[in-house]
Amino acid sequence: MQSWRRRKSLWLALSASWLLLVLLGGFSLLRLALPPRPRPGASQGWPRWLDAELLQSFSQPGELPEDAVSPPQAPHGGSCNWESCFDTSKCRGDGLKVFVYPAVGTISETHRRILASIEGSRFYTFSPAGACLLLLLSLDAQTGECSSMPLQWNRGRNHLVLRLHPAPCPRTFQLGQAMVAEASPTVDSFRPGFDVALPFLPEAHPLRGGAPGQLRQHSPQPGVALLALEEERGGWRTADTGSSACPWDGRCEQDPGPGQTQRQETLPNATFCLISGHRPEAASRFLQALQAGCIPVLLSPRWELPFSEVIDWTKAAIVADERLPLQVLAALQEMSPARVLALRQQTQFLWDAYFSSVEKVIHTTLEVIQDRIFGTSAHPSLLWNSPPGALLALSTFSTSPQDFPFYYLQQGSRPEGRFSALIWVGPPGQPPLKLIQAVAGSQHCAQILVLWSNERPLPSRWPETAVPLTVIDGHRKVSDRFYPYSTIRTDAILSLDARSSLSTSEVDFAFLVWQSFPERMVGFLTSSHFWDEAHGGWGYTAERTNEFSMVLTTAAFYHRYYHTLFTHSLPKALRTLADEAPTCVDVLMNFIVAAVTKLPPIKAPGGPGPRPKPPAPAPDCINQIAAAFGHMPLLSSRLRLDPVLFKDPVSVQRKKYRSLEKP
Amino acid sequence: MCASVKYNIRGPALIPRMKTKHRIYYITLFSIVLLGLIATGMFQFWPHSIESSNDWNVEKRSIRDVPVVRLPADSPIPERGDLSCRMHTCFDVYRCGFNPKNKIKVYIYALKKYVDDFGVSVSNTISREYNELLMAISDSDYYTDDINRACLFVPSIDVLNQNTLRIKETAQAMAQLSRWDRGTNHLLFNMLPGGPPDYNTALDVPRDRALLAGGGFSTWTYRQGYDVSIPVYSPLSAEVDLPEKGPGPRQYFLLSSQVGLHPEYREDLEALQVKHGESVLVLDKCTNLSEGVLSVRKRCHKHQVFDYPQVLQARWFWEAYFQSIKAIALATLQIINDRIYPYAAISYEEWNDPPAVKWGSVSNPLFLPLIPPQSQGFTAIVLTYDRVESLFRVITEVSKVPSLSKLLVVWNNQNKNPPEDSLWPKIRVPLKVVRTAENKLSNRFFPYDEIETEAVLAIDDDIIMLTSDELQFGYEVWREFPDRLVGYPGRLHLWDHEMNKWKYESEWTNEVSMVLTGAAFYHKYFNYLYTYKMPGDIKNWVDAHMNCEDIAMNFLVANVTGKAVIKVTPRKKFKCPECTAIDGLSLDQTHMVERSECINKFASVFGTMPLKVVEHRADPVLYKDDFPEKLKSFPNIGSL
Repeated sequence: MQSWRRRKSLWLALSASWLLLVLLGGFSLLRLALPPRPRPGASQGWPRWLDAELLQSFSQPGELPEDAVSPPQAPHGGSCNWESCFDTSKCRGDGLKVFVYPAVGTISETHRRILASIEGSRFYTFSPAGACLLLLLSLDAQTGECSSMPLQWNRGRNHLVLRLHPAPCPRTFQLGQAMVAEASPTVDSFRPGFDVALPFLPEAHPLRGGAPGQLRQHSPQPGVALLALEEERGGWRTADTGSSACPWDGRCEQDPGPGQTQRQETLPNATFCLISGHRPEAASRFLQALQAGCIPVLLSPRWELPFSEVIDWTKAAIVADERLPLQVLAALQEMSPARVLALRQQTQFLWDAYFSSVEKVIHTTLEVIQDRIFGTSAHPSLLWNSPPGALLALSTFSTSPQDFPFYYLQQGSRPEGRFSALIWVGPPGQPPLKLIQAVAGSQHCAQILVLWSNERPLPSRWPETAVPLTVIDGHRKVSDRFYPYSTIRTDAILSLDARSSLSTSEVDFAFLVWQSFPERMVGFLTSSHFWDEAHGGWGYTAERTNEFSMVLTTAAFYHRYYHTLFTHSLPKALRTLADEAPTCVDVLMNFIVAAVTKLPPIKAPGGPGPRPKPPAPAPDCINQIAAAFGHMPLLSSRLRLDPVLFKDPVSVQRKKYRSLEKP
Repeated sequence: MCASVKYNIRGPALIPRMKTKHRIYYITLFSIVLLGLIATGMFQFWPHSIESSNDWNVEKRSIRDVPVVRLPADSPIPERGDLSCRMHTCFDVYRCGFNPKNKIKVYIYALKKYVDDFGVSVSNTISREYNELLMAISDSDYYTDDINRACLFVPSIDVLNQNTLRIKETAQAMAQLSRWDRGTNHLLFNMLPGGPPDYNTALDVPRDRALLAGGGFSTWTYRQGYDVSIPVYSPLSAEVDLPEKGPGPRQYFLLSSQVGLHPEYREDLEALQVKHGESVLVLDKCTNLSEGVLSVRKRCHKHQVFDYPQVLQARWFWEAYFQSIKAIALATLQIINDRIYPYAAISYEEWNDPPAVKWGSVSNPLFLPLIPPQSQGFTAIVLTYDRVESLFRVITEVSKVPSLSKLLVVWNNQNKNPPEDSLWPKIRVPLKVVRTAENKLSNRFFPYDEIETEAVLAIDDDIIMLTSDELQFGYEVWREFPDRLVGYPGRLHLWDHEMNKWKYESEWTNEVSMVLTGAAFYHKYFNYLYTYKMPGDIKNWVDAHMNCEDIAMNFLVANVTGKAVIKVTPRKKFKCPECTAIDGLSLDQTHMVERSECINKFASVFGTMPLKVVEHRADPVLYKDDFPEKLKSFPNIGSL
């Protein structure tokens, strides 16, 4: 019995092994027997020719074109490009100077704002003869009047025809060689590098300052809708696309399930905004999306995106083919948080830098044309496409990003480790000997400049210092303090008033702090702005409070670029205001830096011994400046940056900045 | 082993009662089967190496053996190129269908030889460069041999040089391609267009809707966003060995090497040379070269002979996109790919920045200057294991902070349940307990869905010393620096010159380069980065060593933003009032050694030391100022 069972199990094992053998071996044999042939699906590829060595080159040496090139000629057809239709020789002297034809008859509000912003720009000139660009405003649809041929037309050469709405008039004259700046032009008629694509400006678009962007946080709020779709009557509808792909064609509207909320909103609240359809409707949606920080998803736009010549829209919008909707939806759903984060921030930066006011749009248009004239000394792409943008990073200062205070990290560079002290000596005109010694004692000080700006004669003797000391005889104007003197050799400037008192270690420590925040102002004395309900305007206080929004420029570190910005980009009226009310200059400088950085200044410890109470600026100063800026750029900070062991109850021996703590 | 030995000693235990004859028979049978199995097993492994060899799939044929196609004189000719073509009008994007990799598929037609009615060939078979170009496409990820899956078609008809073509017949050859369909989605490569008399700047072969990757376009022949403008490849560049460019400025500021310049231009250039001397070099053809010297490889200035193109000192763009046929072909396909899948397109910087710039720079993920509104508040995340009493104390303290909007407890103990709901402290904000699957340190940095605010306060369950004022002030500081780690315990890394490596420092020094996440505010996006984008094996390494997650977070944030941490308030003691200078744990010598090891490990994984040293900390504006305490916003700050 037992043996039978044994034999049975033995047989079982044997047959199992045989089966295994047959199965495994059979396959291998089969494979051996059949000739090897490529597996289906494996690519065959382009053949490697056995005689590839014998192949001839597509061109023989010497065949490459060597025929004499002739100088460029004007095109035979009607089409123009920059080289053939724009005469840059007229712009050689002062760069871009713009003349604008005065308006005839009644004009619309937008029209008036455009005229105002051109006349207020640094490009403006009164005389058509001295202008390099002549600007003609094509009339709005509202007024219905049609313009006639202007006097200096000259076949449209060096003319820019500004057309904010699709032309309502039959063309009363041929465009000739004129460029066209048009709101969302169709791609078919747009001449890249010659015409300028403008955004579609709504009637109520503010003149300057601008409607603020709506983005309050960097990343999308959890639970916010993925997609907003356009509705009729200018609203937006948010759609939850989690379940299906239907919201594209509106078929789901019959089934407003729990996932879909039907809301009318003027500005969309979603991560992505779907924009299809045609201009001008789509173009105005596009602008709304930018303002809302909602990433525009454009389905086959047949119109040129605004300022596409300089703005890299791939960083702020998704342009996709309307014929592949499912693919786009899938791409949106799977988009990495990193990309969404970057796109969101970019929409908001672009809105704020180029689109939020009529003035910005017009200045951007002129800047684009100026960049064409400048050629190689135009703004590099980085300056257009990262904060603060090309309107605030002047290419006349430099065309290399590392010269500006904003791009150090992007460029992998850092500000120099030295500063120039610029001491302003106003009335009564005492040479600031003690201050010079204190500043010159800093290991980071590279040079001292004394700006002598009072009625007393220049002293002939100055103290011996370890660093070079230069005396500049000023023009007795306060705005001179912020002139970009060519003698300033360092990135950092320590702006001082002769009456300030600072110790060497205060200077040393504040400069170290500035190196961490080179785009901001680092100062010692602070003041604040506040909204004064009683007077319905802004107020100013130099009282000590728990927060501040300005540092006094009588003792502050900042980048020398702000001198260029102060002198060359501010409207003349504002600089005059500073000269007339000298205490205003602090406010003005803080406004500029805040408008550029969108951040508050930084306070370092020290500065005042017995605090000399700075005279409060003329009460209306801050309001005048705010009006000129169009908005209030100042922001408040609640912190001060102290040395790490500042006033800690530890051994003085440990502390590097001991003298900062003396009362 | 032991068992078998035992059986052997006892003799034939396996088949005890069988006759010897049978036994032998069985043993033989068994051995055969065993041998067979072993042989099969080995066979299974061997053949693979043969199959994976490269040549297996590639055809080897002679170029002379390609099939001949006769083109009747009256076969159809495509329309001339349509100048109005754009991607949305002339390109059939449906062929590119859904592709999860966002990569177009390119098909190459098989090589054929075309002859006319008289048997005269229409063109040279194929040039060396076009063969190289098709090979490059075929070897790339774009290639497919399935014509039905292809989105783009590349004819093997070589039109690189128009001078070698019979225009009409070449067009006829195109038209009879199996998927021609008016040239839709067909890509032609041409480098030398035009011919006498009008020297057109685009290929004259009628091509209807086909895309043209062409050299020498003018603005009037180039179809914006449809054609691709490519460089004219010089066969000479294949053999050029460029000298490495040393540091410092180049020898010439301005150099012109073009021959056949218009005389007017040459005069201007020579005037420049006279004015500026050495820094300007204007070259021309050489007139008096000795026999055997290839004239195209030389340029002359007066009697001085220069090697060409070495004299140009070309670099990054040339190397990336111009140097080889392969580079030109792949760049062309990438450009078309970017048009079809714009949301997956390569960025301007990736196209244009040389590698050195890419390495040296950082692009801060939170680049927009923005101060988040105070109303948003922050989410406190407490990582805990079993110190319930201490945990409850921390919860009670943190809940007093006005801007707290939610409290999240990450319960990292799998062996013990968290206390019952009724036992938890009653606080004014939602309190959520998340139970984890494994006791890992990285759980504290997981991007939980429960985190609804951008600001996160990471706090250990034993940090009981921080006051409500200190925490609220920390949040205010974070709002001003939302892209940084803003924390309370400051630490420093130092270079140990003796040991030649990094060292961790927890003494109270004048400098700070890290803040510990035992009590720190940061943006919740960094949780995503820590969990999904941490370089190398750091995340697992930290979990395995149960240490240094805080240092890893400091490395991560500093590396991605290029910015330093912010240490807030003078606070240096966190755990208990009676603690000495440094908290007990940190005093431990082995602890310091381990922490130093972490820094060295992370620096090697990151390939750099991203931490930035600063000498400042953030205090409230009026901290220790001579000012009435009751008027200060954050009076309860100041003790160590």
